Amino acid sequence: MKHYGKKLISMLLTLLAVSFLVFAAFEIIPGDPALSKLGDNATPEAIAALRAEMGLDRPFPVRYFSWLADCLKGNLGESYSYHMPVSEMIGDKLPITLTMAIMSMLLTMAVSVPLGLLLSKYAYSKLDRAGYVANQFLMSIPSFFLGILLTWFFGLILKLFTPGGFVSYKKDFAGFLGYLILPSIAIAIPKCAMSVKLLRSSILTEADKDYVRTAYSRGNSTMEVLYRHVLKNAMIPLVTFWGMAVADTIAGSIVVEQVFNIPGIGRIMLTSISHRDYPVVEAIILLIAFVVVVMNFIVDLLYRRLDPRMRRE
Amino acid sequence: MKTIREWLKKHKNFNMIAGAVITGLILLIAVIGLFYTPYPSTEMNASLKNSAPTIKHIMGCDNYGRDIFSRVMEGIRNTFFISLATVAIGTVVGVLVGSVCGYFGGLLDDILMRINDALFAFPSILLALVIISLLGTGTQNVVLALGIAFIPSFARIVRSEYKKQVSLDYVQSARLMGAGHVRLIFVHILPNIVPVLLSSVMIGFNNAVLAEAGLSYLGIGVQPPEASLGRMLSEAQSYLFTAPWYAIFPGLVIVLMVLGFALLAEGMTEE
Repeated sequence: MKHYGKKLISMLLTLLAVSFLVFAAFEIIPGDPALSKLGDNATPEAIAALRAEMGLDRPFPVRYFSWLADCLKGNLGESYSYHMPVSEMIGDKLPITLTMAIMSMLLTMAVSVPLGLLLSKYAYSKLDRAGYVANQFLMSIPSFFLGILLTWFFGLILKLFTPGGFVSYKKDFAGFLGYLILPSIAIAIPKCAMSVKLLRSSILTEADKDYVRTAYSRGNSTMEVLYRHVLKNAMIPLVTFWGMAVADTIAGSIVVEQVFNIPGIGRIMLTSISHRDYPVVEAIILLIAFVVVVMNFIVDLLYRRLDPRMRRE
Repeated sequence: MKTIREWLKKHKNFNMIAGAVITGLILLIAVIGLFYTPYPSTEMNASLKNSAPTIKHIMGCDNYGRDIFSRVMEGIRNTFFISLATVAIGTVVGVLVGSVCGYFGGLLDDILMRINDALFAFPSILLALVIISLLGTGTQNVVLALGIAFIPSFARIVRSEYKKQVSLDYVQSARLMGAGHVRLIFVHILPNIVPVLLSSVMIGFNNAVLAEAGLSYLGIGVQPPEASLGRMLSEAQSYLFTAPWYAIFPGLVIVLMVLGFALLAEGMTEE
């Protein structure tokens, strides 16, 4: 229990550091937000008044903490170009990107474990060799290129899928999930290939250890040894990898959204970057970093369930 | 020839060989692309719009009738040198930060590593996007943004290696012989972490290639008319039905670039 508290505090500290970095980065941008809000021909008095209203005349630490307090209340500021609260702009887009990221993570987990088991069962055979080559190749394909290939193959040749036919989850949830399948596959394939490779090698390393021989000598069958002993240990590096892959998956979603014309967080982020709409970019970055940190925390907890040795420390 | 065959027989390191061949080829194209492309990469030929691969245009032509192979050559060159510069920034700064943190430890280490952890929460392509949104687009800014985005991972690896080395006997004896901190860090310890550093440089290079391609796919990397593999892919998407080769060739080249380095890295760990 003590450990969980410690981890929780460390997570909160990281979140604090993340928020500070984000705030500081957007503070050093040249240019005055009040000026960009009012336009070039505003009078100095109007600018000064708006600066006071936006609280820009206060010192840096004060502004940071009031910004942080606002963020915690769910008030992420107001977009420069759309003049609406950022939370409203992001609110209904976030589920789209997160659904895609979660779908591809689940896909990675569901596919890579059986495949990794299969390859390690037939280790050093022809199947294993073919799997190795396929893995190396798939690992090297950027997910947006995979997305383009999948659109081309399933959309234009087989005509099983309408490119650009995104449906909102509010209108048709099944159709929404259906449209997200190909993008999720595009994100999942490289991650999946890495997971399979990792699991295969970690099973083979574990299988050589003494406890496996002991388990056999106590009369366990191969299946029992594999599932009760080896797999449990072999999963540890894989869970670490999955934890690190979360950040990548979310970043991947942002790029792949463009391939499949999905109006998620990535779309808003790119338009906001090109319009220099900093409050929006700031909020999205903060949100994603928060998701990543929280996910890492969860992975850490999972770890302890998998590996009792970690609990003893 | 005989020595190569003997070496092959002895080592059977197919990863290394395949990686070296692919990377060598890409490198060759990148270097040739500095001086020569079959056609000027921006020359448009209206009669060849979206034409299929032929002997004269081995990868076909794009929507402006530009030779895709020439543009791919230029794209490889751009991606290659951007990635190289990126990794250089990440490695140099990462080694500096990581070595100081790992060697001295203490409060400085705590603070820098806390910042490092926080930076780790941002996916590198996202971090690069933000930095570019602050600095503006352009090749130098892409290099700078990706370079900064890659520092934390290098710093983390280098730090943990220094932490391991610092308590070893050879460091203690060098210290007893009067070596100063700078000498210990760079002359004594650094050469010992080169193998670890080298494989992370290779992986870093791959991530840089993928990130650069991703950024230019999003339209934030190298700016037109300069060719870049990622941007070619995004342009090709509108012509996927009429000219699929426009997407396939630049994409395959990215895959080969990444694959070559991945195999080399794999082969090096086997050695």
